[in-house]
Amino acid sequence: MIDTLRSEWIKLRTVRMNAVLAIIAVGFPLVITVLTALLIDADDMDAEGLIGLVTGTSIVTGMLLGVIGAAGITSEFGFGTIRPTFAATPKRSRVLIAKAVLTVVVGLVVEAVMVALCFGVGSVLLNSRGGDVQFADAGDARWALLGIVVFAGIVSLLGFGLGMLIRSTPAAIAVLILWPLVGESIVGGLLIAAGLDNPFKWLPYNAGINLGNPDAGAGTDSLGRVWGGLYFFVVTAVITALGALSTSKRDA
Amino acid sequence: MITVQGLSKRFGAKFAVADLSFQVAPGRVTGFLGPNGSGKSTTMRCMLGLDRPDAGGTTFDGQPYAQLDHPLHQVGALLDAGYVHPGRSGRNHLRWLAASNGLPTSRVDETLAVVGLTEVGTKRVRTYSLGMKQRLGLAGVLLGDPHTIILDEPANGLDPEGIRWIRDVLTHLAGQGRTILVSSHLLSEMALMANSLIVIGKGQLIEECSVGDFVGRYGDHWVRVASPRIGTLAEALRAGGAVVTAVDDITVEVRNATAVDVGELAARYQVTLHELSTQTGSLEDAFLKATSSVQEYTTGAIR
Repeated sequence: MIDTLRSEWIKLRTVRMNAVLAIIAVGFPLVITVLTALLIDADDMDAEGLIGLVTGTSIVTGMLLGVIGAAGITSEFGFGTIRPTFAATPKRSRVLIAKAVLTVVVGLVVEAVMVALCFGVGSVLLNSRGGDVQFADAGDARWALLGIVVFAGIVSLLGFGLGMLIRSTPAAIAVLILWPLVGESIVGGLLIAAGLDNPFKWLPYNAGINLGNPDAGAGTDSLGRVWGGLYFFVVTAVITALGALSTSKRDA
Repeated sequence: MITVQGLSKRFGAKFAVADLSFQVAPGRVTGFLGPNGSGKSTTMRCMLGLDRPDAGGTTFDGQPYAQLDHPLHQVGALLDAGYVHPGRSGRNHLRWLAASNGLPTSRVDETLAVVGLTEVGTKRVRTYSLGMKQRLGLAGVLLGDPHTIILDEPANGLDPEGIRWIRDVLTHLAGQGRTILVSSHLLSEMALMANSLIVIGKGQLIEECSVGDFVGRYGDHWVRVASPRIGTLAEALRAGGAVVTAVDDITVEVRNATAVDVGELAARYQVTLHELSTQTGSLEDAFLKATSSVQEYTTGAIR
């Protein structure tokens, strides 16, 4: 297993697109955070507000990490490298587990770095301009920073799972991005029209995003941070398991 | 030793490979021949567990491929030189392959040197020519110093020097007692390289024999005779039932008679011979004759 992990790690590191996506994933929220911290009145943002800004912008980070997860397997199908991969490691489950582990770990680490950088730089800038942003003052909202890191890990895995199922890079990325942006709105709207009461809390992405919501759990219309995150993870795990089953059974 | 037993693979209703069985012995280069669409590549993919066969299986020295823990040490395979990420360097492509089987990076550099790609190893594969990709693929095959080698069209895209190189390499490796299975459409090349042949058509075995036996069975044979008195000799040959075709003023090709028959007749008629040789058709001719009934795609005449 260690050999397979090493091999997949080399693959992940030696494709430039992955590095570019990771840089954008960290850079985009950082730029937004820096601009916001420099342009708003420093008194208008406390620690909880900064956490909301960081977790809000880092949804983009999660998406980009999901793209890395999807491309990690779809590019193998696209360029045919899945064949030498499975020829070198005939136990396909070993390859898929190694890919899943690396995808999640990279997602967690990149998101954690991004969150730490954004909150750190944002608080320093706001405090230097007369603000008073103290991490300890954020109360329960602090869990949202941990939650958004976990969310990124799950979205990375979701991208990988969709990639295994769909096999095409553009199609997998389209589903990964359009489902939360458009798909759940349409499905939710249809379910409301069908007479269901507040179906959005049962839609996976809507439930999962509570992981990074500083106010999660405060209302009654959501599953809350822990149960919402768990629900999103279970849906992702099912998609990933189906993808793994399909990849194991089908011709490479 | 590779043993393929009762292998079948179906795509929809169509059998790409149907109950195919053959053995590939060590110490020789075995050519794997068949017309386009005959199932060669599907067979190779099934052998390596990449395509799931509907029936049958393959063993390598008694073990199924899926049970090999570090297969690159036992079986080196190149199915398509294009199976590389174009954004990755050739060296990095080999690095992940090597790492997957616990091989050190030093082995990557060794094999790059063997295939002559050291200088371009750090360049991205998208800048490689087809021939360079073939060499990179062969480096991947050699990484684990395997006992069994499977190559699908390895000479495709190689220049004459490269083709000769791969022939020499495979012949050398077979001489070391390794098991080599090579498919190729370059039949002249196969004639120079292969000791044995496995010929398939429409997914079924047509022949499994030595190259000599195959050409002997399916190839054309005739005797070439040259003499200043060829007219006299030709008349005597025809009288004996031979078919004689003129090549030039002093040379004929004789069928339905052996060189011994022609020599005896020439002696009887006291005809001086300038040439008397048995001619055999090419592997290409034999292949076309053997597979004429199983061609998947036949060409029409150009008008």
